[in-house]
Amino acid sequence: MSKSRRINRIIPIALCLIFLYMPIIVMAFFSFNKAKSLTHYTGFSTKWYGAMFANSQLLNAIFVSVSVALIATLVSTVLGTITAVALSKSKRLIKFTVQQINNLPIMNPEIVTAIALMIFFSFISFNKGYMTMLLAHIAFCTPYVITNVYPKVKALDPNLAEAAMDLGATPGETLLRVLIPEIRPGIIAGALIAFTMSFDDFIISYFVSGNGVENISIVVYNMSKRMNPSIYALSTVILVCIMIVLLIGTFMPYILYKKYGKIPRFVTRLGYIGLALLVIIAGFTSFRANTAKQVLKVFNAGEYADMEVVASFEREYNCRVIYETFDSNESMYTKLMGGNDYDVIVPSDYMIARLIKEDLVVKLDWDLIPNAKSLDTSIMYQDFDPKNDYWCPYFCGNVGIVYDKRNVTKKDLKDGWNILKNPKFKGDIYMYDSERDSMMVALKALGYSMNTTKPKEIKAAYDWLVDQRNTMKPTYAGDDSIDAMKSGNKSLCVMYSGDACAVMDENDNLGFFMPDEGTNYWVDGFVVTKTCENQTLANEFINYMISDENAYLHTVEVGYLTPNLNAAAKARKNDFPGNIAYEIRVDKNDESFDYQDNETKALFSSYWTKVKAK
Amino acid sequence: MKHYRKLIIPYVIFLFLLTVLPMLLIVLYAITQEAGSVKTFEFTISNFIQFFDPVFVKVLIKSFGLGLLTTLICLLIGYPVAYAIAKCKESTQTILILLITIPTWINLLMRTYAWVSILSKNGLINAALLSMGFSRLDLLYTDGAVVLGMIYNFIPFMILPIHTSLTNMDQSLIEASYDLGANPIQTFFKITFKLSLSGVLTGITMVFLPAISEFVIPKMLGGGQYSLIGNFIENQFITVGNWHFGSAVSMILAIIVIIFMALIYHYEKITNNEIDDEKGEGVMRFVKVKKN
Repeated sequence: MSKSRRINRIIPIALCLIFLYMPIIVMAFFSFNKAKSLTHYTGFSTKWYGAMFANSQLLNAIFVSVSVALIATLVSTVLGTITAVALSKSKRLIKFTVQQINNLPIMNPEIVTAIALMIFFSFISFNKGYMTMLLAHIAFCTPYVITNVYPKVKALDPNLAEAAMDLGATPGETLLRVLIPEIRPGIIAGALIAFTMSFDDFIISYFVSGNGVENISIVVYNMSKRMNPSIYALSTVILVCIMIVLLIGTFMPYILYKKYGKIPRFVTRLGYIGLALLVIIAGFTSFRANTAKQVLKVFNAGEYADMEVVASFEREYNCRVIYETFDSNESMYTKLMGGNDYDVIVPSDYMIARLIKEDLVVKLDWDLIPNAKSLDTSIMYQDFDPKNDYWCPYFCGNVGIVYDKRNVTKKDLKDGWNILKNPKFKGDIYMYDSERDSMMVALKALGYSMNTTKPKEIKAAYDWLVDQRNTMKPTYAGDDSIDAMKSGNKSLCVMYSGDACAVMDENDNLGFFMPDEGTNYWVDGFVVTKTCENQTLANEFINYMISDENAYLHTVEVGYLTPNLNAAAKARKNDFPGNIAYEIRVDKNDESFDYQDNETKALFSSYWTKVKAK
Repeated sequence: MKHYRKLIIPYVIFLFLLTVLPMLLIVLYAITQEAGSVKTFEFTISNFIQFFDPVFVKVLIKSFGLGLLTTLICLLIGYPVAYAIAKCKESTQTILILLITIPTWINLLMRTYAWVSILSKNGLINAALLSMGFSRLDLLYTDGAVVLGMIYNFIPFMILPIHTSLTNMDQSLIEASYDLGANPIQTFFKITFKLSLSGVLTGITMVFLPAISEFVIPKMLGGGQYSLIGNFIENQFITVGNWHFGSAVSMILAIIVIIFMALIYHYEKITNNEIDDEKGEGVMRFVKVKKN
């Protein structure tokens, strides 16, 4: 073969491998970065590995991923293999029907399968958690096992089984000793596919799990809204593990052959025993959640607490806190309705109003919450709960605009919310990806109340947003805009004051302003659900979270203003001196959200869907 | 030989409960709407009518467009790579196939997340551009970023089946073609490509199918404003909470995809058991290595 032809071969392969491995190598490289940045390398450090192993949510997720994958692989391989054998002996009609239905999960878009299973579990009121995830994984893994094993069974001589039985073997013995060894390659291939499918799965797990059960994908999904080098550390660890397994798998047989001439029996046996032990351990520990001490299920917004405080609560009160996070009040409500049980939830004011109205929460026991004495009472006793029986404030703030002082002048700011339509900033704007916040911006820009129920005003706000979308090309981002603004990606960004505070802390070029037309002020607070079994523990948890000391830790970690006056004063002095976003403004034009009736809510959401679906 | 027939029963029950019933529920939700309380339904076709608003149809068309583009680029890159690998020595092939397979074993979210920091405004590519004296480019949150992310994640599923069909090909046919006077280009298109068609079609379905319903990659690389059909469905279920409309859209998506798949299968009459062998093939090689 000539040299030029060899080069023709090498170039595409090399380019493809570079393309496939470049991001992985970048990840591994930045997992050893000293700074939190994933783009600027400031020095070698292993602290992200430390952070990863200290993150109990992440460790739990690794455990869930591995144990679900092992058990699902085992069950689906056994089920798939016996089904494949049975299929080959079945009548044509049955064979055809089962095969066609078996192909459904493979052919169906994954999201459709996921949704079908989610509806199914909530329809039969099966509590979402470890079991639902496991069942779903078995359901989508088994078809792959069957499609791998069935061709091997079909290729077998049909007389083989009969011969074995004629020689006196029982059907069971024939299956185990004659048929299975013959189709082993198909079974192994099927099992390995099942394992990788299950281990990697995100979409299906995301929809069918709940109640604190999360696998790696779900945690990465929730974490990835903010830059987090721990994710890189985790992916590097997984890569190294895979490499080791593959190297052993590839080279061990060679070494053994060299030494013994064949793979000795004890090695294969050792392998099987090891595998069996793993499955048993996975099986046992997966039920440890049920045997633990007192359990409190907390549902909080993502990145909204100093997790050390939660951990010390677990130690002091000798209990286990299942801590799950949501990304919006609406998704929290959907999960709550979809058969998830929580004890303590941290929704926003308008959602608290809704939960009270729908009778989903119970009154707090203020005797158990003595730390409430330091709270700012001016934001409590709101209309939806005049006596403030049901909720305890946790964080509060406004919505405003973070701007880059280098590009935005004082004069630009005079436009108020309409700065978001200033052609100077075309393509240079982050809008907040939330129906209520974006509609609030538009309504306030037009001079309406953000709690309007008049269809005409809501339509006008929709037109404002569509016009802004078409002329300004803004980016609708959720919490990912936080990191983007830290590194100065765009000039303007609609942001919550707490996030603004954290962002301005890291980027000196940024300013924060709230238009005179008025804005939203909000309070998030703790509520205890009706389904909560341990009310005392729930109230103690709330009391613990809002103590002067712990409220200070939370506010410093998160950057939002705490309603605990002592903690806020301390943070203002020590951590956020002169930071104008670390305040709350309640002027005459400022409003908090009201609970929306269904009609207005539907109008808001259909308009917002249309704004986003350009 | 009826001994093992009864063994099918557990799976039939399982299949009915966890595949058939859930799909029927989607249909039920799609053709109903809430009437007053959560557990009472009334029949309606308004969910489907609602979808045929031009705004939503555009989302569907865009999803298909990007899915097709991704598939086409994967094919254009994947075929030469698979071809080049198939021309290597057998032991080299094993290692190369393993190398192509390994990235698929790392979490899809993590792989996509890596691209965020490569493409972002202060990311590696822009840093390189700046240091070379060029100005920054807006790479992240564009159609291009989404397509790139999908190609990155799905291209192994194009390469593997094509490689398999190329290696399974009877080499003497190519020699015969040369003997009969065909030039290399003619031979490639008339013999090699035609014989690898089943691998190509498997690859196309393996890429196209996840690409059109993907919602994580568009969300991470396309930004929040990005709405493909997968995001749209997720949004209806998770944020908006309108399960009926969400089910109707899921049903429309499933029907279109299944028709598409049926056409492909009709065209090539690939046997059912060949689909999704891609990881299996990689793994089978891995198993073969072990055995040798």
